[in-house]
Amino acid sequence: MNAALNIPYRMGAALLLIADQTGGIAIMAGQVVRRLVPPRIDRYELFRNAYRMGVQSVPIIAATAGFTGALMVIQGAPIVERYNARNIIGWSAMFTTFRELGPLLIALMFNGRVGANNTAELGTMVVTEQIDGLRALAIDPITYLVVPRYLSIAIMMTALVIIGDFVAILGAMGMAWGILDVWPRQFYYSAMPMLQTWDFSVGVIKGFFYGNMIALTSCYFGLSTRGGAPGVGRSVNASVVAAASGVFIVDYLSTFILH
Amino acid sequence: MTITFRNIHKAFGPKKVLQGVSFTVRDGECFFIVGASGVGKSVLIKHLVGLLRPDDGDIFLDDTEVSRLTEREFYEVRKKCAMVFQSSTLFDSMTCEQNVALPLRKHMGLTMKDALTEARERLSQVHMSHFATAYPAEIGDGMRKRVAIARALTLKPSYVLFDEPTTSLDPVSARRTDVMIRELCDQFGVTSIVVSHDLVSIFGIADRIAMLYQGNVRLLGTREDFKNTDDPVVRQFMSGEAEGPMQV
Amino acid sequence: MTEAAAQTLDAATDEPPLPKRSALTDMLGELADLWRVTLDTLFYTFNHKREKGAVITQCYAIGNRSLFFMVVTMGFIGAIVVYQIGIQTARIIPDMSLVGATYVKLLIRDLAASVGAMPLATRVGAGIAAEIGSMVVTEQTDALRMSAADPVDYLVVPRFLASVLMGTSILLIGGAVAYFAGMLICNLSFDVNPYVYMNFSMVTSGDCILGFIKCLVYGGTIALVSSQRGLRTFGGSEGVGRATTEAVVGSLFAIITLNLIMSTIGNFLLPA
Repeated sequence: MNAALNIPYRMGAALLLIADQTGGIAIMAGQVVRRLVPPRIDRYELFRNAYRMGVQSVPIIAATAGFTGALMVIQGAPIVERYNARNIIGWSAMFTTFRELGPLLIALMFNGRVGANNTAELGTMVVTEQIDGLRALAIDPITYLVVPRYLSIAIMMTALVIIGDFVAILGAMGMAWGILDVWPRQFYYSAMPMLQTWDFSVGVIKGFFYGNMIALTSCYFGLSTRGGAPGVGRSVNASVVAAASGVFIVDYLSTFILH
Repeated sequence: MTITFRNIHKAFGPKKVLQGVSFTVRDGECFFIVGASGVGKSVLIKHLVGLLRPDDGDIFLDDTEVSRLTEREFYEVRKKCAMVFQSSTLFDSMTCEQNVALPLRKHMGLTMKDALTEARERLSQVHMSHFATAYPAEIGDGMRKRVAIARALTLKPSYVLFDEPTTSLDPVSARRTDVMIRELCDQFGVTSIVVSHDLVSIFGIADRIAMLYQGNVRLLGTREDFKNTDDPVVRQFMSGEAEGPMQV
Repeated sequence: MTEAAAQTLDAATDEPPLPKRSALTDMLGELADLWRVTLDTLFYTFNHKREKGAVITQCYAIGNRSLFFMVVTMGFIGAIVVYQIGIQTARIIPDMSLVGATYVKLLIRDLAASVGAMPLATRVGAGIAAEIGSMVVTEQTDALRMSAADPVDYLVVPRFLASVLMGTSILLIGGAVAYFAGMLICNLSFDVNPYVYMNFSMVTSGDCILGFIKCLVYGGTIALVSSQRGLRTFGGSEGVGRATTEAVVGSLFAIITLNLIMSTIGNFLLPA
């Protein structure tokens, strides 16, 4: 095929693929919602996944959030020093961390750890026929596998944002003390009066939306895996990329809606 | 109480796998479907439990046409028609007893505790009670197969489909599995459909045999019929010779 | 668990007891392994003739095929960050004229490289680990060894070079996209004229040097961490999934850690 024809052809194919995947994720969302009223949830799967996905992610999420808080102070330092505005460093670092960077970086990390793992697990179950095994036992894979995972990811992502926010405060305090000589007490009293509850809530709401995005995307890509071990690798790859794109789009929309 | 396949057609893309397969399985018999690898044996039995849908043709199970049921309606079929997969398909994240307990919890409304007790009972029937708390990755192929059979039998199905139950097992485990399948038919009156190309199993326990070849039933008959056939293709398959009229 | 119970358990499962491991020794072991892969990669980078076209192929896979994703992502990030800076400024001083100047300094010094490296790590890291991991579980790397080719030389070096080169280019392009997306949002949401927005007075050469070093380091880190995870894959399709997960998490964590280190050092050596 000649090169001029080739590029529109490939762009069209890529667009069709994106449309197909978006549609698949939307259908999965519908299937999950339909099974949530009335709720028929397998408690064991729910708790097992919530523990694996949520509790075991706490260390890495805490580290991410702490570093993010510290970074925001470093980035704010030149401006703070130029205008000698030490009394706003607490506020300026926490404002961006709470509203934007905290939830975003936590979501990317969570996507890499939990979303990718979820896709890999479901994908492995598909290629080793375990999903057919479930169906042959007259158990609905969506009810039994997807619904508990969806709930754990969405709820745990929200919870991790809340935990992360607190660790971020500690990280920022430490860094402000280290490089700007702002004592934690001073940091705290500069940040608290200017921060609004809404700044905190925006981040948590965003976290919930990101969680939904990661949950549905990773389950969809997992269940649509084909073709053995390389297929699982391809699925995981496609899933983390798609979920990351989804997170950025959700972020963009929610930033303007929840300002 | 019979299973009838009538004129089943199935193609994957351009590849026509089944081209008008028809036969009937009688109540309580141990029916074997044999044929070369890739001829569509597993594909055929997956139609019966709705894991695949035929392009054309009908499947009757107890005089009900099942091939056009919805996924939800198929759940009732699957409760009385269990399947043991070639790869056992035990769930990696659960121990053996949890695997067996899963259908008990989901369909018989047992609590986790009762289901596990019942599951251990079922596992002891297949001589696996020592490994009840082991994970599938920790036990051998033959043991996994036995757990898979226990799991398939939890709901007391009247039909059991076995997809290559002895492939990839060592000879001793394979014969033990054969004995188990035969007992199901003789003692519990379960109708078994076994997909296999293991000649020892076929001549050891089959009541009747259907051989698939090029998308159709080449020969349907008892063990004696297969031993005495004049058909060169069937003769080649049964003797396992490299040279012959059989086309790949 | 008591000692006796542990022994019975060992006897019951009939398995040799695993050597004692903890999260810390595991992590140190992985870091040591990563260090070895890094040294090998650098050695082969300067000491070996590569197959023709291997680096170019990887440049295409890592660079061109991530470009669309990164442009879209960085466009969104640029818009969001400017909007946040805007509403933050609005709470202290209702003067929007310096938003552009502040933003471009922040973008060059940190955001273009560090925030851009996150989606890049997700995209490129997952790809590298899945590809190498699949080759490991299907024994293709063993076949390479049998033909006397070191997998590090043959697989990792081209990816490393391509990732440094294309990663840096893409992060620079992404930074530019984020800058213009910011200009658009500034104009639409805060009525800042593009001429006022394009104010580079606050940018110093230190910012540019630090930003560029960050781009180079992230590009290399993503390739090294992901390749190391890929090479250590074991256990079939599950293993490939696990390696991919670890590659993404490892790369992201390495980027965040290195960013903190480089920013702290930069704060003293290349002050703004």
